[in-house]
Formats: sequence, C-alpha cells, structure tokens
Amino acid sequence: MGIFKVSALRKRQFFGGLIGILISVGIIVFFSFKESEEYISLGPMNKGHEDLSCVTCHADANGNLMQQVQSNISHLAGMREKSVDFGTQDVTVNNCLECHDRPNDRHPSYRFSEPRFKKAIAKIDATTCITCHTEHNGERVSVASINYCMNCHQDLEVEDDPIDVPHSELIANEQWFTCIQCHDFHGNHKYNVPVKIKDTIPMKTIQAYFDGGKDPYGTDKKYIGLSEPAWIKTLQKK
Amino acid sequence: MKKLNNSPLLIVMILFISLLILNSCGGVPEEKGETSAAEDNVFSVDEVLEMVSKENDVTRTLYTKAIVGKGMLQGMKFDEDWRKDDVEAGPLPALFLRGVATSIKKGPVPLGLYLGSDFPVNKANKFEGQQAELFKDIKETQEPKFFYDESQELHTAMFADLASAQACVTCHNDHPQTTKTDWKLGDVMGATTWQYPKDSLTYSGAIEVLNAYSKGTVDIYMEYLDEIAAFKSSEKPVIGDKWPSEGNYLPSPEVFLDSVRKLSSYDTMKTLIASK
Repeated sequence: MGIFKVSALRKRQFFGGLIGILISVGIIVFFSFKESEEYISLGPMNKGHEDLSCVTCHADANGNLMQQVQSNISHLAGMREKSVDFGTQDVTVNNCLECHDRPNDRHPSYRFSEPRFKKAIAKIDATTCITCHTEHNGERVSVASINYCMNCHQDLEVEDDPIDVPHSELIANEQWFTCIQCHDFHGNHKYNVPVKIKDTIPMKTIQAYFDGGKDPYGTDKKYIGLSEPAWIKTLQKK
Repeated sequence: MKKLNNSPLLIVMILFISLLILNSCGGVPEEKGETSAAEDNVFSVDEVLEMVSKENDVTRTLYTKAIVGKGMLQGMKFDEDWRKDDVEAGPLPALFLRGVATSIKKGPVPLGLYLGSDFPVNKANKFEGQQAELFKDIKETQEPKFFYDESQELHTAMFADLASAQACVTCHNDHPQTTKTDWKLGDVMGATTWQYPKDSLTYSGAIEVLNAYSKGTVDIYMEYLDEIAAFKSSEKPVIGDKWPSEGNYLPSPEVFLDSVRKLSSYDTMKTLIASK
C-alpha cells in the first residue's frame, strides 16, 4: 500500500479539470489577440470602419472588473449615487464625433436636442448617429426609409429654384425620396447638383451606396473621417 | 466525510471571504462632481443661464456692431455661406452664435445654446410648440422664460434676442428669403434658448459654464480668422490690436475677448460675488 496511491477516479477528475482550465485559458488568450476581434464582433463592421480595432469605440471602463462589480453592488444597495460601466464604456455620439466631427456638417446631431425638434425626433432620432448608422451591419446607412427630410422641411421654399421640377412641386407631391438624389444629409460632398430630375442619382444607386457600395456623389469630399492612427494621435495631443 | 454543501458554516465562511476579497479592491473612484461634499451648490441654474446669456448679449452686440457693421463699411464681406469653399467672407451674427454653440457642445460642459425666431430667415429656425408659445410673451415683455423640458430632462431658459445694431435690421429686411421686412432697431427678433441638466451649480460649475461660452467665442472667431488666411482673391484685413472702425483691420482673438470681458465683467462679477 503506497502513500501516493491515487484512485483512478481522482486521476480522471484531476486531468479533466486540468484540460478544462487549459481550454479556458486558451479561449481567453485566443480572443485577446487583435486578429480574433472579428469573432467577437456582433457583425461585420460598417463601410469605412473595417480596419478599426474594437477599442476605438469600446474603451475599457474605469477600474478593474472587481471594482466595477463592487461599485454596482454599492449602487444597488443605495450606497453610491451612480452605477459604473461594466467591462467597456458605453458608446456615445461623442465617440463618433472624435473622428467624424466637422464644422461644415449640415445636420449636426446636437442641433436636434433643441425642444422645437421634439416632434421630428419622435419620428427619427437625429440626436444620435446610430439611428441612421447602426454599426456591425456591414453597410453605410441603416435607416429604414429614405424619406426622413419630410420631418423638418415641409415648408421649404427655394429662391430662384434651379431644377426643372420645382422643390415646391416635389414637396406638394410628397416626393420625399427625391431629396437624397441631389443632397447628401451631412453636406460633405463637393457635388454639383443636377438641374433636371432625370439627371439625378437613381434611387437604386443611392440604396447601393447606403448598403456600402460606390459613392454616387463622387469622391471629392470636404472632410475625411480620421483613421485609427490619426485618431490615436489626437488622443496623444490631449 | 461530510460533503461541502452540507456545511452551513463553510458556506458562510466562503461567502464572507468572497465579500472580503471583493470589497478589498475598493470601488471605482467617483468622478469629480459626483459628490457634493467638496463644494456647495450656490447658484440656481436660472441664475447661471441668465449670467451667461448677458455675456452672450455683449459678445454678439460687439461682434455685430464693431466687426460686421464697421467691417462692411471697410468692404469686408459676411455671408450665410461663409464656410463654402468659393465664398470669401465671415460669419453673420446668427452663424457666429451657431459657431459658439457648436464649440460648447464639443467641450465637457453640458450646456446647450440655440437661436430661433417666429420670422427666421431660415425656416428651419422657426419656433414650434412650447417655445413658440413662450416666445409670444418674450416679444411682449422682453423678460426671460424658464421651464423644465421633461422629455429631455433639461432645465431650459429663453432670452430675448434684440436687434441691437442697424446691420441686423438692414440684413434681415433685405434678405431674399426673409418672411418679415419691417424689422426696426430694438425689436425682439428672436430668442436664444439655453439648456443645462442640473437645477443648481457650484461656484466652479458656474465659472465652467462662463468659460465654455468664452472659449466658444474664441473658437468661432479663430475659425473666421483661419477663413481669412485662406482668402485667395479678397483683400485680407490686418489682424492685431486695431478694429474695423480704424480701417482694414480686425482684432486678434485676445483683443476681441478682452473687450468682451471689459464690457461684461461688471454684471457677471456682481452676480458671482453677491450670490453667496
């Protein structure tokens, strides 16, 4: 009878446990590599965001996981005023603006916070980017219907209207899909608008662009969103 | 041998040790401003919005009269399309305010600033709903209106925006898209709307709001100077310590801000000191 004799059952338990731990560690290590990020992502990144790392938008939350658990338990128990983010910080409009903010934005999201846009916001929440640009869909624009201009521009009058079918007629006929055939929402393209409706960009082409296809307004843009290295440089300057 | 899950003492001990380990980390430090122990809230949000609105009145009047009004006499151009590549001009007063508002939004102070009217040049700036109703009173009395916007959970204030310079009246009456052509000097042409999330502010919180506004002023003014630097065909004014009233000059951002401070400092200081 040896002192170190271990039963077959104990051996199996030990090796089973060891294999379990190794597999767990392997999975954690695997998912910690940058190359594995696509397997963690909820879906393919939107057009232009393909090269971004997760951390570009999903910054680590303050504190370690234990601290975050403790803080949230304290909050639940009424011992702390605010809860804290768990794991990663919430993604907000400010994250988007760190790369896409520009002075010439025709419809900056902040403007729609004013009370008079309440009715329009109830129909389409223009205060936040993800209403039209839902991420992880592998597309460019995810808005359900492209007639959103109707929510604010019912009273539009254009002086010396240059187009063959006047804007007033398009609005009276509720042809709201035609707006986007000449005007991009953020006004970021140097694009000469046509003067004949027949020369405008076909809706099929617009939809293809929204889905991630070729830019029908041309490649001459007033402002280009920051790449990840350029964005990092802006952080280093702060 | 007694199984682990049959030993209440052991379970309690494990729970106790787990809690001890969990608690030993300490929580995530509370952000600055989350606790009120360090500094008391001494200003109501209405007081602070009134203070910053007065600074805005002084700044806009100075910009409208001394830069736009006098500058136009020197041949300087100001245009609603001033940001377009093929337009060599500066921002009109309403767009100057828009620029200030944009800069504030980019900063950490949660202050909202908007400009609207019942007869705006751009129809997108027409008041609707509650703002339109309150603006009727503001037009009559020129007194501010304060309310709580429940849908956004923001304290909101509206202040009369007066035609303080002849340039306001002339440009708005003559604008091709104007919906009103009989504006007079001193008329309530519109109202600024200000929003802030908290009902009261500390002394430093109030200063942060005032500083955010000042920074916004400098930011948009510097954008105007950058625009001038990129002029290709128009004559560039000399930037320094002189004003357009003396010739083809524009004040530097420091000189402009210094003048705003001189004009607004008495009222602001009085409120800051008298308060508490």
